[in-house]
This record gives sequence, structure tokens and C-alpha cells, in this order.
Amino acid sequence: MANSNLPRRIIKETQRLLSEPAPGISASPSEDNMRYFNVMILGPTQSPYEGGVFKLELFLPEEYPMAAPKVRFLTKIYHPNIDKLGRICLDILKDKWSPALQIRTVLLSIQALLSAPNPDDPLSENIAKHWKSNEAEAVETAKEWTRLYASGA
Amino acid sequence: MGSKVTDPNLSTVRSIVGSEFSDMDIIRALHMAKNDVTAAINIIFDTNTPKFKPTRIISKQQVSSPKSSPRAVTTSSKKNNADVENKKCSVATELDSESVDWWFVGSGDVAGLSTCKGRSIKSGDKVIFKFPTKKVSVSPSPGKGFGRAASCSEIVRFSNEQDWEIGRIPNEWARCLLPLVRDNKVRVEGKCEFAPNVLGIMDNINLSISVFINRSMFVKHHHVSLKDATSSTDESVFHPLPALFRLLGLSPFKKAELTPGDFFSNKRPFSQTVTSLHAKSERPSQNGHENENEDPVSEFDLDNIVGVASSSELEEMDPPENLLCELRPYQKQALHWMIQMEKGQSRDEATTTLHPCWEAYRLADKRELVVYLNAFSGEATTEFPSTLEMARGGILADAMGLGKTVMTISLLIAHSGRGGSLGSQPATQSFIEGGEVGDTGTVPKFSNIPKKATKFTGFDKLTKQNTSLSSGGNLIICPMTLLGQWKAEIETHVHPGSLSLYVHYGQSRPKDAKSLAQCDVVITTYGTMASEFSSENAENNGGLFSIRWFRVVLDEAHTIKSSKSQVSMAASALIADNRWCLTGTPIQNNLEDVYSLLRFLRIEPWGHWAWWNKLIQKPFEGGDERGLKLVQSILKPIMLRRTKHSTDREGKPILVLPPADMQIIYCDPTEAEKDFYEALFKRSKVKFDKFVEQGRILHNYASILELLLRLRQCCDHPFLVMSRGDTQEFSDLSKLAKRFLRGTGNASEGEVKDAVSRAYVEEVVEELRNGEKGECPICLEAFEDAVLTPCAHRLCRECLLASWRNSSSGLCPVCRKTISKQDLITAPTESRFQVDIEKNWVESCKITGLLNELENLRSSGSKSIVFSQWTAFLDLLQIPFTRNKISFVRLDGTLNLQQREKVIKQFSEDSDIQVLLMSLKAGGVGINLTAASNAFVMDPWWNPAVEEQAVMRIHRIGQTKKVAIKRFIVKGTVEQRMEAVQARKQRMISGALTDQEVRSARIEELKMLFT
Repeated sequence: MANSNLPRRIIKETQRLLSEPAPGISASPSEDNMRYFNVMILGPTQSPYEGGVFKLELFLPEEYPMAAPKVRFLTKIYHPNIDKLGRICLDILKDKWSPALQIRTVLLSIQALLSAPNPDDPLSENIAKHWKSNEAEAVETAKEWTRLYASGA
Repeated sequence: MGSKVTDPNLSTVRSIVGSEFSDMDIIRALHMAKNDVTAAINIIFDTNTPKFKPTRIISKQQVSSPKSSPRAVTTSSKKNNADVENKKCSVATELDSESVDWWFVGSGDVAGLSTCKGRSIKSGDKVIFKFPTKKVSVSPSPGKGFGRAASCSEIVRFSNEQDWEIGRIPNEWARCLLPLVRDNKVRVEGKCEFAPNVLGIMDNINLSISVFINRSMFVKHHHVSLKDATSSTDESVFHPLPALFRLLGLSPFKKAELTPGDFFSNKRPFSQTVTSLHAKSERPSQNGHENENEDPVSEFDLDNIVGVASSSELEEMDPPENLLCELRPYQKQALHWMIQMEKGQSRDEATTTLHPCWEAYRLADKRELVVYLNAFSGEATTEFPSTLEMARGGILADAMGLGKTVMTISLLIAHSGRGGSLGSQPATQSFIEGGEVGDTGTVPKFSNIPKKATKFTGFDKLTKQNTSLSSGGNLIICPMTLLGQWKAEIETHVHPGSLSLYVHYGQSRPKDAKSLAQCDVVITTYGTMASEFSSENAENNGGLFSIRWFRVVLDEAHTIKSSKSQVSMAASALIADNRWCLTGTPIQNNLEDVYSLLRFLRIEPWGHWAWWNKLIQKPFEGGDERGLKLVQSILKPIMLRRTKHSTDREGKPILVLPPADMQIIYCDPTEAEKDFYEALFKRSKVKFDKFVEQGRILHNYASILELLLRLRQCCDHPFLVMSRGDTQEFSDLSKLAKRFLRGTGNASEGEVKDAVSRAYVEEVVEELRNGEKGECPICLEAFEDAVLTPCAHRLCRECLLASWRNSSSGLCPVCRKTISKQDLITAPTESRFQVDIEKNWVESCKITGLLNELENLRSSGSKSIVFSQWTAFLDLLQIPFTRNKISFVRLDGTLNLQQREKVIKQFSEDSDIQVLLMSLKAGGVGINLTAASNAFVMDPWWNPAVEEQAVMRIHRIGQTKKVAIKRFIVKGTVEQRMEAVQARKQRMISGALTDQEVRSARIEELKMLFT
């Protein structure tokens, strides 16, 4: 069973996530697989995603913490660094992963990414192009999507 | 003269060669030619030694082969000189017009070889030499036909006056002449003495060569170009000028009585020209194993290598009145000896005594010039090199406990002065320069020092140097532990006010040379000295290096034994009139240790690695006892060594100390200990056997030592193995902080922003100091065997290493800075044990043994020192001590100077304190602990000398009680086998084993330990 020999680190992280959650972020492990987390991130204020509640899934691979967690948006989101499958372009999830990072820091980074989209390093070409050519319009679309897909689910 | 030469042959030959040749010459030639008449005639004509010259009738001259003819010239130099006299007049007159700068050295006969066919040259014809230019040569020598570049760069050809090439001169001549002529140091003229009427290829042509030397060679002290360029990669040094002098048959008319050259008159090991001194060394040195049986060296220990002075011969000298203590007779002898060494036999005598490295030659020039040649550096000068130029001083190597400090203090006040007042430095400087330049050329790997030393002593800078160097008094350099003691001893033994004293140590020390130079005595540490020395930038070396000291004293001088260490180079770069080494163990590990001392002392030429290596180190390692003999003869005049067993004139021991009782306590391990040890041993042996199988023992030396370390620690107490006690080195927190900050300084520009801020480091260090627990950012647990990264992040060692893709380096998980494994510092922690030792306390057999001993001593009130190599074991010992109410203090590497002094004082004066816990390394040197009369050595050390030195802290002058020294060994363990290894080590130290033997010995040793 995956849960039987769960590393102390994961248990500890889970306990801390539950006992002192980061503002605007909630993460709770799935009951049948303690490596699988259901995550909710509130759209940061003063961003196009304000007011939205975004669902994500986070999975800790066997090698964790030596390998990065796998994170994906479940809620549709209009963002240049997130594609339509919900995959996230974030360096710390790829080559810049460090075992000193944690679930909490990963989720905080994702939250920060919502506040500061980076169209220069896009995952979704079309959205990035949109963002660069007409930022106001793109922001409007993002707001629109937030209203459509991320409100009060 | 085996075969008989028949008379008819003789007369046949005579009829052809003419009557100029003696019968003997013809008989010899016939003999060499095996009675072949034609061959014999050829030999006679081909051989062009002066003896065969048709113009002279010489009897009883040896026929020598053409190749050896120059040597033959040497042997008959008397005859030859007369010849030279004759020529001198004629040649010198011709040259008078241009000869102001050129001195006629002499002439010699050279056997040229014809390279042409059909041309002819007559006796008396002038020949012109053609020296090949270097490929990039721009300025050919004036007056010499430098038309075309020779195909082979080493061949010197000659032609007739019509510029037709005739032949070439032998390589041995070319080799000497080429570099000298190229640099315009020497000029050569030649004429034909004899040649066959019609030349054929390879015919012999007798030439007479006259050599003139340019005066620039002597006045400018510019020696670099004297070196044969081709020898720069070769360790053997070739100096063209001395070689040329030899070829010319000049022999020195004056030599020092004993010259270093006497020891190596012949390079070939088989046909050694054995001086009477070395009659024994005739056996071929190749048969290394043969040496063991007959080699007396194998029984030598240190005393035999370096010799013990029969002190009864030495005069005594009363100490100056300023000295407030009585000197013992042998100490008065030392004072007399040291002053003699500094003042020289007498200055006049020194001035007129030729320096042993130099030889005096009289040139054939009618101006009666005398030239001095240094056979070792190839330098030439016209100034008389006297022994004054040798450094004054020596090695005071009295055994521990005889009071070297007091003897030195008495010297400080008995003979005082200011640096530079001797007035001999210009010569010294240039002398050193020549030698050092030589090193640069010949031993590239060693180039650090000479470059620097050259900068210091360079002739061009000489005048500047002399004025910019402040004249200083005495500089005493000692290990940090002894700083306080030197100060205290000077203050107690010297009449107040007669010496001004300054301790040059710590961050706030002045760098200003003037204030340092004003003090009579400056005491500093090796570390401070090394830190003020920068090998790249000699001019900026301030402080200690900008002063010309009257005297530099190295206490515990073996500290500089590794010649390539910064501290050793720094010490050698100090400028001083008098130099002293104080050490009880001039050789700690191998013969090379002596080299560093000689280099510091400026004992020429042994301070140059090339010479040392060639004449001492190599022969010694090869089993040639001459190496050792030479060391002895070098050391004998400059070293004074007495031991506690030395006797005075009446045969009484020079020092009466209470007896010392050495005892080894063999402990029986308990069942549990045995089991644990066996388990550990088996595990280690499996690993070791694997290395043996792979034949990679020496490659895995470090890992094997690690295995052994665990086993040895296990003998002390199994708890030690359960901990990872490698924190000693860095447990000094301020050192830790320094290391971080140093790391910052090294960061290249791009990394500056990543550099750790001072505030952050201070925070981390503070955290560590307060023992704050913290957690590892990777496992989120309390640290387990925490390490610190250079960027000052703390992680568990395993967590960090697991995060890296390869085992040697990776990124810091916290800041992503690249770090490598060796940069990691084991973080000091409050408790280094992974078990709760207080709760689970178990005594090991050694601890039980120690407690018994201490219990027996308790009522007597006598004090004890307990030595261990591992501070972790000292930690452990504190538990039973506290429980058994044994009062103790502790001295280890974590204490700073003040703390150490406080501990020593407390231990010496507070009668309630029974025990001093001391780490073997911290207590190794100099400290005077005569308050204690018992020493317990808890674990054996590889090098018995270190152990002995520590123990001798209590058995020395001032000790009034009987001394008991007890060493603990656990039966049936690696410790017992180490005893055997120690005995072997003793032999290795004494130099009884050759290099190869040492290598195999090391393997043997390791195998021994794992049986």
C-alpha cells in the first residue's frame, strides 16, 4: 500500500498544511492515497482571477522530495503559462526543483504565478500572443473565464 | 698490456709517424690496435691529446681515446699550464685593442672532426667557429660568422678563413660553449694545430682553442643566461661555465677544505670514486635488499641520524646578568655554542675562509685575474665569496624538557643587535639570488618560492631593499599554544626593562613595520606569519616581512617540515641575520623534514631543492647511505642535540629528573564490547579484503584509514562509533564563521550577489552557538549529522547528498549555489552521540581501568593528565568523572589562547582539580604541565613521536615528583597490532627503509592491522 510506508516528511508536511494552512490555499490528501492532494487556490486579489476558486490536483511521486510534485489545474483558466490541459509552466516544477521546497511553497508559487503572468515564457502560445498584443483584452478574457469556470464551484 | 707488441711493427710505425713519438706511445697504440700497424698509425694521428702532438716530445704520456682527451688535459694540467703561458703572450698581444672587456681564460686542445672531403687546412691556420643561432635569434654574436642556421641546433662547426666548412667540434665542448657564446659571455678563437694533408670525412683535426670571457659576466650578477636552456626540464643541473673550465683544464687553485662536491664526485653508482669517508659505500646501491643485512643505518633511530653532541667538549658561558635564573652547565654550553654560531669563529677568519660552494680559478690572462665559480649555481664572480655569506645560526635540537626556551632567552640578552648591522648583506643577497634563479630554471614545480625569494633579494632591488627594510630585533615564531608561555618565560627570566616585548597576534595587530621593528623581541605564531605572507605579491608583504630581523627563532621548528606548505615558504622568506630552529624532533617523518629547516637556515646549497634532491633525497631513497652521511655531515656543525641521557665531563647525566615509569595497561574487553568490536571488525575486513583483491590498497588509503579509525575508536568506547565524531576540526565556531566569510571573498564577480552576507553568517553561527535545534529543510526533522554548506545552510548530510545527482557535488537545495562535497563542514552539535549516553551509560573496559587508576591516586593528591585523540572520547569521559566526583578541567582545540592559559593555570594552581582532559593534538607541544605527575594515554597514535611529545609535557625541568605514564591498550584488537606498527614506524622514521620498501611496508602494515 502506498500509505503504509509514507515518508515522515510527507506526513509532516500534510500535518502542517492542515494545521496552519497558507492564506488562500487549501490542500488535503485523498483518503485512499496520501500522496494525492486535492488543492484549491483562491485567485489573488487585483488579478484577473480575483474571486475565482481554482481546483488543482497535486501528486507526490515516489521519489519525492528528491523529485518535484506533479501539479495540474483542474479548473479551466485563461493564463499564458497554463495550457488547456491545466499543465503549468513553472521552473520549480521542472529543472529548478529543490528538495528544500515543499507542497506549501509550490502552491504559493502557483498563486504568485496567477498574480504575475509571464507571456515571455508561455505554455499556451495563443494566450501568450493575445496577452502580448492586447493585454487589456486578454485580461478581460481571463476575467471572463474566471467568472465562467471558477466561480463558486 | 696483455699481448706482446712485436718490434718489427714498432719500427714500421716509427718510420711513418716519425721520431716525435716515444716508443711507449707507439707500443700503446699498437696494443690498442691489436697489433694492426695501419690502425695503430691511425690511432696515433687520430688521437689529439697534447701528448701526441708531433711538435713535442713527451714520454710516459698515456694514450687516451679521443673522447676522454679533455680529462686527460686536466690530469696533466701542470704541463698544460706552461703551454698556456706560452700562448697567452702571443694571443693576448693580438687582442689588446679590444680586450678591455675580454679576459683570456686559457686555451685548450680540441679534437675536431672533419665534415668535409678533399679540402685542406694547415697547421697554424686560423679557424672560424660557427655557432648555430636559436631559431628566433636576432642578434648574432659580433665577429663570428653567423651566416646560415645550422641544421642541428647543438652542433658547433668551424671553417677556414675562406669560410669553407672544415669540421665540427665535439659535443661536450659545444654544449658548454654554445650557451655562453650565444649570450656573448664568452668568445672563442681557434687555430689548427694539426690536420691530415687532405681531409676525409671524420678525420681528426687538432685545434687549439682560446677562450675569452666577458667581464659583464662578473659585474652584472646576471646569471640566468648561464644556464643551459636545454636542461630546464631536467633535474640534473648543467652549468656551462664550470664545465668549460674543466674542459680547458683549469683547476681551482683554492677550494674550501670540505666542499659539498666531495660527496658526489661521480654520478655513476658503480664506479664511484670513493672518498675515504665513504669507503663503505662501494657496494652497488641497486641491490636494495642487500642493504638490510649490513647497513648500519637500519638500527639508527633519530639520535643516530642526527647525532648527539658529546657535550662535554663544549665550553660553558656564563649567562648575562639580566637573566634572572640559574643556568645548568649544559645550558651554559648551549649559550656559548649559539653565540659562537652567530658570531662565527671570528669574523676575520670567516672573511678569509672560502665559502664551500665556491672555487677559485686563476685565469691565464696576464692581468692575473682570479675568478670564483660556484659549482652549484654556475655563478661566477670576481669578489671573494667568504663564509660570512652563510647564514648565522643553527638548530638547537636538545631533547624535550632540557629547557630550550631558557637557553634561547639567555641568547636573546647575551647577544643582541639590530638586523642589518652585520654589513654583509650585499654579498649574501647576490649569493642567494644566484641560487634561487637556478632553482627556477631547473625545478619548475618549485617555482613559487624562488620567484618570491628573488624578488626579495634580487640584485637590482638590492639598494632599494636595504633602505626600505626596517632593522628589527628578535622575532620568535611559535605555535599558538606556546605564545603565552614564551611571554611568561621572558617576563619571569629577564630583568624587567632590559627587553621590550611585543606579542604580534590577533586581528588588531599592527601591520606597521616600524612599531614591530622597535621592539627587542616580537613573538608571533606560525599562523600569523603565514597569513602575512603572500606568495604572489612580495612587495606588498608588510609586517613581519618588511623587517630585516637581527634574529629569527622558530620554536617547534618541525612545524615547517612540509616544504611546500605556506608556513614553510613564509618562514624561508623572512629576512634575518641570524636564524635558529628549536626542535626536539628535527626529523619527524622523513628525511625531507630536514630540507625545510636547511632552507630556512640558508645552509647553501641545500636550501635548493635540486641539490637536496639530487645529492641527498634520491640517494637516500635509493638506499645509498651517502645521502644519510651527507646529511649528518651537514647537520653536525650546525646542530646541537643533547638528550636526557647525555652526560657531562664527569660522566654524570646533564639533567637529573625524577624517574619516569612507563607502563602499558592491557585491558580485557567485556563480552558485549568484544561482540561489538568483532562485528565492526568483520564488516571492515570485508571492505578491506575487497581492496586487497583489487590491488588498490594505496588508492583507497583514506577509506582504509577511516575503517581503522572506527575500529580504534571502538576500542575506546563503542559509543564513539555510534557517533560521527568528525566535528573536531571545525568545532571552533569562530573558525567556522571565518571560513564562510573567506568563501565569500573567493566568489567570482558573477556570484557576488549570491554571496552570504556577514549578518547571515553571524546569525547561523549564533544559532549553532546557542545550540538551537532547527530542522533540516529536506527531511523536516531535527538535524541528524548536520553539515553546513559554504553558503551557510544547514542540512542533514544524508539528505543533502541524496539530493545530488552525483556524489561529489551538486546544488545547495536552499539557494542553488553549486557546492562540492569537500566544501561541506560538519556542523557542531550539542551532542554528537546518537544514543542518549547519559541514560544508557556503560563503562568501557578502558574507562573502568582509568577510573581505577584515578581512584588510587585520589588520596595522594597527585594530578593527572588524560590524553585522547578524540574529543568525543573526552566528552564521554566527562560523564563518569562527574558521577564519581573526579574534578577535572579540559583543554582541546576549541579553546582560544586566553581560555587555554586559564585552564592551564587553573589546573596547575587549584589543588582540588585532579585531572586535565586533553586532546593529544592540542597538548602536543610546548606546554609545561609539571604540576601533573601522571599521564594516561588512552589511545595509541600512529606516530609514537607525537605521543611522546605530549607525555613529555610533564617529564621535564621543574618536575619534582616521580612520573608515571600509563598507556591503555585493549587486548586482541587493532590497538595491539598498532604497537607493532609503531615499532616499524620508528624504523621508517630512522630512514632504514627505502622508498619502495616504505610503499610495500605501508601495505604490509595495513594487512597487519586487519589480521
